[in-house]
Amino acid sequence: MNLKDQISLMGMDDIMEMCINQEQQAIDLYSLARDQARDESSRQKFQELVDMETAHKVALRNFELENFIELPPADLKVTDYLMEPVLKDNMTTQEIIILAAKREDKTARMYQDLADHFNFDKNLNTFFQMMADEELRHKHSLETEYENEFLQEG
Amino acid sequence: MKHERPQSFNTVPMKERLTIPRQAMPEQDATVRSTNFLEVNLGLTPEQAVIEAQRCIECKNPTCMEGCPVSIKIPDFIQLICNQDFIGAAQKIKEDNSLPAICGRVCPQETQCEEVCVMGRRFEPVAIGRLERFVADYAMQHGNGSLESFEKPASTGQKVAIVGSGPAGLAVASDLIKEGHEVTVFEALHEFGGVLVYGIPEFRLPKEILRQEVATLEAKGVKFVKNFIVGRTMTIQELMAEEGFDAVFLGLGAGLPRFMNIPGENLNGVYSANEFLTRSNLMRGYDFPEWDTPLYRAKHAIIVGGGNTAMDAVRTAKRLGADEATIVYRRSEEEMPARNEEIHHAKEEGVKFMNLVNPIEFISNEQGSVVAAKCLRMELGEPDDSGRRRPIPMEGSEFIMDVDMVVIAVGNGSNPLIAQTTPEIQTNKWGNIVADEDGRTSMEGVFAGGDIVSGGATVILAMGAGRKSAIAMNEYLKTKVRNSA
Ligand SMILES: Cc1cc2nc3c(=O)[nH]c(=O)nc-3n(C[C@H](O)[C@H](O)[C@H](O)COP(=O)(O)OP(=O)(O)OC[C@H]3O[C@@H](n4cnc5c(N)ncnc54)[C@H](O)[C@@H]3O)c2cc1C
Repeated sequence: MNLKDQISLMGMDDIMEMCINQEQQAIDLYSLARDQARDESSRQKFQELVDMETAHKVALRNFELENFIELPPADLKVTDYLMEPVLKDNMTTQEIIILAAKREDKTARMYQDLADHFNFDKNLNTFFQMMADEELRHKHSLETEYENEFLQEG
Repeated sequence: MKHERPQSFNTVPMKERLTIPRQAMPEQDATVRSTNFLEVNLGLTPEQAVIEAQRCIECKNPTCMEGCPVSIKIPDFIQLICNQDFIGAAQKIKEDNSLPAICGRVCPQETQCEEVCVMGRRFEPVAIGRLERFVADYAMQHGNGSLESFEKPASTGQKVAIVGSGPAGLAVASDLIKEGHEVTVFEALHEFGGVLVYGIPEFRLPKEILRQEVATLEAKGVKFVKNFIVGRTMTIQELMAEEGFDAVFLGLGAGLPRFMNIPGENLNGVYSANEFLTRSNLMRGYDFPEWDTPLYRAKHAIIVGGGNTAMDAVRTAKRLGADEATIVYRRSEEEMPARNEEIHHAKEEGVKFMNLVNPIEFISNEQGSVVAAKCLRMELGEPDDSGRRRPIPMEGSEFIMDVDMVVIAVGNGSNPLIAQTTPEIQTNKWGNIVADEDGRTSMEGVFAGGDIVSGGATVILAMGAGRKSAIAMNEYLKTKVRNSA
């Protein structure tokens, strides 16, 4: 069964649970990378990502939609054309940010697909649209950091 | 900033000063210089310098000093030039800036002292950078007095190690030798000066100036050790525990090239700006075959970036004989961080500018050499935190252009060697060393400053950070003596 079909059989609680799981996977991924990181700077960066995703999960669980209400900033597409790094134990901060931004982009697309799928249900459509936007906001902040640090052009 | 008004030696009536034109710097003709590596700017003549100095309207509140990151007493040295006391003017600058011949050439004055010069509100600002360069060169040519007036202080018997011979390290050496410490500079490369020798090309900053600065420091007693990589040849702990250094300054710079992470960056013919410029400057690739460092003569070289590094690389490529040399920059010219003068000179020398374009892939032939770049066009969106408008890729705007050489000049990071070999020294998530205002790190007796702390910045900021650290190190060394007494 594909995701869209699965969704059509789910209640709102299950859908929320699925979203929370999606965030949990990100937390697990970044925690693993943090624990494997060889230098302090990568550890710090992964910890920051874990914190971001955890805040995200808590917001979802408590249905704190007020955090997601604003429209997302423009998609900067800074990392769209970059190569996707493989998760390994000695990643540079540059690779970590690219990996995380690409992940956010994929998750945003997933939520966007869900929003499109539920175009007949205003509530679900809006909810998923807001989730997609939230991921894009996340991507935006990572890409902003990427620009500031790795594209200084000095 | 409170500043006592200097004695005025300017005899030109105030009203007339406003009508004196800013003195143009003589320079090599663009067609001639684009084929040689000699310095582009030739420096003001003494007559021009005096006329330029006379343009200063001696403001009650001289904003120029606020624009200078190290607060050089600009009005004072300008008045000394009016009095034709060029050596005195150079010494006045040296009170705050140990490398004026260098800063006069490479500081971005248009965004510092000259940007806030009151004359600039209505007329052209006083050419403070050109004047600084003039007096520094004059003093160098006429025995700058710095060595002659140097009295060897009584030895403290304390040893200081300086790691890295860039502007930060040289500033620390210059200040601490005066205090009677035994100072040794360790440098990983085979020449001293950091980016000033391996990055900035001869045509912008003659290396002879660096050699003279180093020779003066050597004559004052500073020891220079080359080909010595701290963290590999010897660790910081070993320097302190085994070699008896009482304090260490880390002026390591930000010399690790950053790449874009797009496909094809590992092809033959794709260089980092660091490698390209080091081959040309430090290994004298421009002197091939006199020097055995071959550098490719490109048909079409593209340089990705818009900073000073990109301008240096593109002008070097042109001088090495590239038929065409092009800057490829994601933003528009307005957002370029390079000094205005470098952009202007590059254009005069025939460099092409392709703005609002970003490469997304480099394509190779069967031999693995780059033959083309796939690029995207960009459009400017909302401004970012720095106020520069953000470039955003335009969907479906891909195009391919022939290139046979690419230089990536998007920025530099810090080398992780010291962080890896000295875990006691705290670094931030970017790998920069964490240090307080005075350069103290988390390891006792170890100080740091310049690009390794701030990330890629400027010569004057690195030098200023070095001087602040020197004061703190001197205090630290004094306390160490008191505590052991
Ligand atoms: C191409 C280029 C052009 C630039 N143009 C300008 C300009 O026009 N104006 C301007 O103001 N700024 C310019 N900058 C920036 C400026 O040069 C730097 O901000 C400045 O040099 C930083 O000084 P620093 O002393 O911190 O480090 P650096 O100049 O980078 O020197 C650090 C030194 O430490 C050595 N080192 C590193 N690790 C070790 C180790 N483990 N053991 C021993 N030695 C080590 C390095 O080999 C190097 O020599 C430019 C930079 C580049 C790359």
